[in-house]
Amino acid sequence: MGLSQVAVLASAQTELRPAWRDAQHIDLISSVVTNVFKGTGLTIDDVDFVIDSGSDVLDGRSISNCGFLGALGAHHKEEARVEEDGLWGALYGVNKIRAGASIGLIVAYSKPSESSVDLYWSSMVEPFYQRPVGFGQKAALGIQAQRYLAAHGIKDEALAEVVARRWAAAAAGGKVAMGDAPDARTVLASEEAAAPLTDLMIARPVDGAVAVLIGNADVARRAGRPPVLITGMGTSMETHSFAERTANRLDSVSNATKMALGKAGWASAAAADVVETSGSSVVGELLALEGLGLAPAGKGLDAAQDAKVNRSGGALPADPIMATGLVRLAEAAKQLSTPVAGGAKAPAKAIVHGTGGVAMQTNCVFTLEV
Amino acid sequence: MGREVGIVGVGQTHHARRRTDVSQAGLVREAVDRALADAKLSMEDIDTVVIATGPVLFAAVNQPEKWVVDAIGAQGKSVVRLTSGGGAGFAGALAGYYQVAGGYSDRTLVVAYDKLSEGQLQYSISTLYDPFWGREFAVGIMGFSAAYWRARMDVLGHTEEAAAMVAAKNRNNAIKNPYAHQKKPVTVEDVLNSKPLCWPIKMLDVPPISDGAAAIVLASDKVAHHSNTRPAWIRGMAYCCEADNAPERSLMLSEPLAIASKHVYRAAGITNPRRQFDVVEVQEPYSCFELNYYESLGLCPPGQAAELIASGATQVDGDIPVNPSGGCMGANPIGAVGVIRLIEAATQVMGRNETHQIQGAKTALVQSGGGWANLRGCAVLSA
Amino acid sequence: MFYAPETAPIDLPTFKSTIAMPYTLTPGRSAGTFLAEMPNRRIVGSRFAGGKVIAPAQDFSPVNGDEPEELVQVPENGELTAFTRVDGVVIGLVRLDGCENAFAHRILADLADCKVGQRVAAQWASEDAGTSITAIEGFVLSPDAPVGEVKPLVGPAEPLGVINYSMALDYDHAYGPYYGRMFDELKENGVVMGVRGSNADDALLPPREIDDITHKRTGTWKACADTGTIRACSLINMEVYGQTRPVPYAYAEIVLDGASTKMIHIIEIDDLESAKQTIKPGTRVRAIWTKGERKGAVSDIERFEVIEA
Repeated sequence: MGLSQVAVLASAQTELRPAWRDAQHIDLISSVVTNVFKGTGLTIDDVDFVIDSGSDVLDGRSISNCGFLGALGAHHKEEARVEEDGLWGALYGVNKIRAGASIGLIVAYSKPSESSVDLYWSSMVEPFYQRPVGFGQKAALGIQAQRYLAAHGIKDEALAEVVARRWAAAAAGGKVAMGDAPDARTVLASEEAAAPLTDLMIARPVDGAVAVLIGNADVARRAGRPPVLITGMGTSMETHSFAERTANRLDSVSNATKMALGKAGWASAAAADVVETSGSSVVGELLALEGLGLAPAGKGLDAAQDAKVNRSGGALPADPIMATGLVRLAEAAKQLSTPVAGGAKAPAKAIVHGTGGVAMQTNCVFTLEV
Repeated sequence: MGREVGIVGVGQTHHARRRTDVSQAGLVREAVDRALADAKLSMEDIDTVVIATGPVLFAAVNQPEKWVVDAIGAQGKSVVRLTSGGGAGFAGALAGYYQVAGGYSDRTLVVAYDKLSEGQLQYSISTLYDPFWGREFAVGIMGFSAAYWRARMDVLGHTEEAAAMVAAKNRNNAIKNPYAHQKKPVTVEDVLNSKPLCWPIKMLDVPPISDGAAAIVLASDKVAHHSNTRPAWIRGMAYCCEADNAPERSLMLSEPLAIASKHVYRAAGITNPRRQFDVVEVQEPYSCFELNYYESLGLCPPGQAAELIASGATQVDGDIPVNPSGGCMGANPIGAVGVIRLIEAATQVMGRNETHQIQGAKTALVQSGGGWANLRGCAVLSA
Repeated sequence: MFYAPETAPIDLPTFKSTIAMPYTLTPGRSAGTFLAEMPNRRIVGSRFAGGKVIAPAQDFSPVNGDEPEELVQVPENGELTAFTRVDGVVIGLVRLDGCENAFAHRILADLADCKVGQRVAAQWASEDAGTSITAIEGFVLSPDAPVGEVKPLVGPAEPLGVINYSMALDYDHAYGPYYGRMFDELKENGVVMGVRGSNADDALLPPREIDDITHKRTGTWKACADTGTIRACSLINMEVYGQTRPVPYAYAEIVLDGASTKMIHIIEIDDLESAKQTIKPGTRVRAIWTKGERKGAVSDIERFEVIEA
């Protein structure tokens, strides 16, 4: 069809902090929009369109994109608000470039510190049956975990090891604000969030923003580095009724993976040298790894030990709700484009996962290649 | 370049002031069933779904697509929601357009809705304003809209009567529209004599509050013919914005609309909009906006919208009919309106509008928008 | 990044804001009937083609969107299929006898006593919970609960057209360096301060780091006058939910002297007809400050009034 190839040109993110008390939404947004152009030779004037992800409920204002257009650099450009994780914003942007646009700016941000995260989730379930009985994100993640542990005879100590590993990775990365990274014992000892999950086994909401610049193949070639190409993408949403979803599986991750791999021409996600996922809980991360096809059912723990998985720390230590998946894309693209030491094998392929909804109702998967 | 994209099926609800027989999700289902039937398809044939609504505060369900997905039987599919205030439906259709044009799907269902009877409309819209800076004085965007109309009146010498003519035209056109629910004959004098709400906006300059949904099926040129021998092809489509609090922002013309129309006209080969369009459908949340659109879309020179409406050219029997459907004045389920306007324009160029077909219509212009009048887009359709 | 020139860090609390309003939500026929039957202590389910029953009743199958054939009465007993505990409350998934699905509700038991497959029975609330699913207080562990059967729903109640609902969302907004200094100056000195645009002497209000139009860094701070010119205005004569002033009054977008962007405020008026003549774009206005201690908010200005020529 002659549709354009699409490349990740650059990315920028703020530090991910439990609370950015000394910055407003627009401060975080304009910071990443300014910084994303550094070293690209491009400016905001070169951008054809802006796609942004944020949540009116988290932001405390309706059509919140409308008040942030200046900070987004969108003035007099085409702009769209995808009210879902920024990875879905990237999906839209890729389609626009494949259809002929040159350069797009994808921005995602959130400041959950300014609102009640529990209300964000509880307002997402239908108001007649689920909301009045207190069913929401935590309950759904707890049930998901209880089933998974029971079905596969896994102990919560094993979960805590994975969580500790992710925090250690995030601490090493230096982009996430934290005190001492918790060890497995601390993870187990943290307060119960939704039995059997402790607080630290659930993704920690943080404030932050991320911007990703994407462009067509011509632009990418001029950037002078081997481009990181987006070669496949897919997304799938499951039923709202949590109880009707297949137990111990995230079918929508499998669906999205199948779409993405089909477009990319990969036989399996195992081809990836870099894996970045967005688990809403540690069990959610294991289910995502299984859904991606990186481990058989119940063996997500094995995949989670692989050094190529969530080198950034993933979503558990830092979940800037609405931006988490786009952060994963930025992290994966960086890992593909960072030079490696002599003799080491440079990573060539990455798979990126983003999620949304209660107990990961909707999922999105991208493949990247250099 | 992108693939050709056509509208191959359309469906909308019979809009109403308040539907107490269906939930938000059920309302969406009605429009989807009608659009799929019109396209001779079932949900299995649909690759991807785009859902669009106005702000979630309208109806107290955050990310409502995650609930609505069950009602339309789209479980397992690629589903994503776009929102853009009043222009949400149009923004959703644009996202769907690019899914097909960019090769992500062959058939995309776009459904847009709002069930405005569920909440407090003006209060919800007032939360558009910065909580630190002005929200306490907001009256939805009606106070704002009236303020900039007043400024245009003063600068251009337009009178309240010009907007009243728009209101009367659209209200009278809506009488024939089977999907409209506000259907009373109205004269220009009636509009002028109606109660000032946010003067110069008066009661009859304001559309009704509605519950409604609208859906379209978009298809690539590869598969469009399965559904429709005469699809409405999207020849160009864009949706642009401006920062709301700019120095010098006068709103005499809508700059984002002018920018969008420039892109769209170039793509569609439109050099003389007044002559080339057979019919126009615009989203007029208040009557005065339609006057601004005439100028921003190039249907008349800047400053001459009052003359254009007075000339009768935009009446159903004029040379450039605008809103033969009645526009928002017949029904205004805000988030759905962008898709409703696309449906009206599509059925016109397909030659199968049920009740208000413009004879021989081949090329149609659609306008939509939202926010503080700072999100604005347009599209050109032709058979 | 986030640099506010010429200012020391200001340690401000957060700005409290609440969005709260009443709703009337339509449940649709199935949920509307289910809720209407709650006071009658009957649990309503939906039967689909092929005989599959789900509860609570839904207008559309959560699996594939199919519409049910009829509403039925389902038993109050069933089994626990999964469970967790949040904030000390046990939430479980319950499959009622004769139903193919499970749904979430409270489990009135200790978590340690919960087992998958355990028999449970509905416990009705002792107090009147009205037409809410919480009329079922929860499910109790009930090893001997007999297996019930799905029955026809005899004489169903009229489905509820709407339920009353309210939502309140509380926010703690950060001031950041720019709003922080602006509101601090307002409170301490009674001065409205903006920052110069990236390429202009006039101040942007409210101030910010990056110019909306040029996306370049804004300039130095500048005090604006408390007088200005109306850029646009309208006369508010309608009452709406959440309004803070009695009608009629004028909504005005005012450009303060020394500023280039608008401040939104109100002007009191006596009547519409005279206000049409006296309050218009270009009219000069001055701020009337609120009496008493300033709070560091827009409300420190009570209103604007026209400066008589």
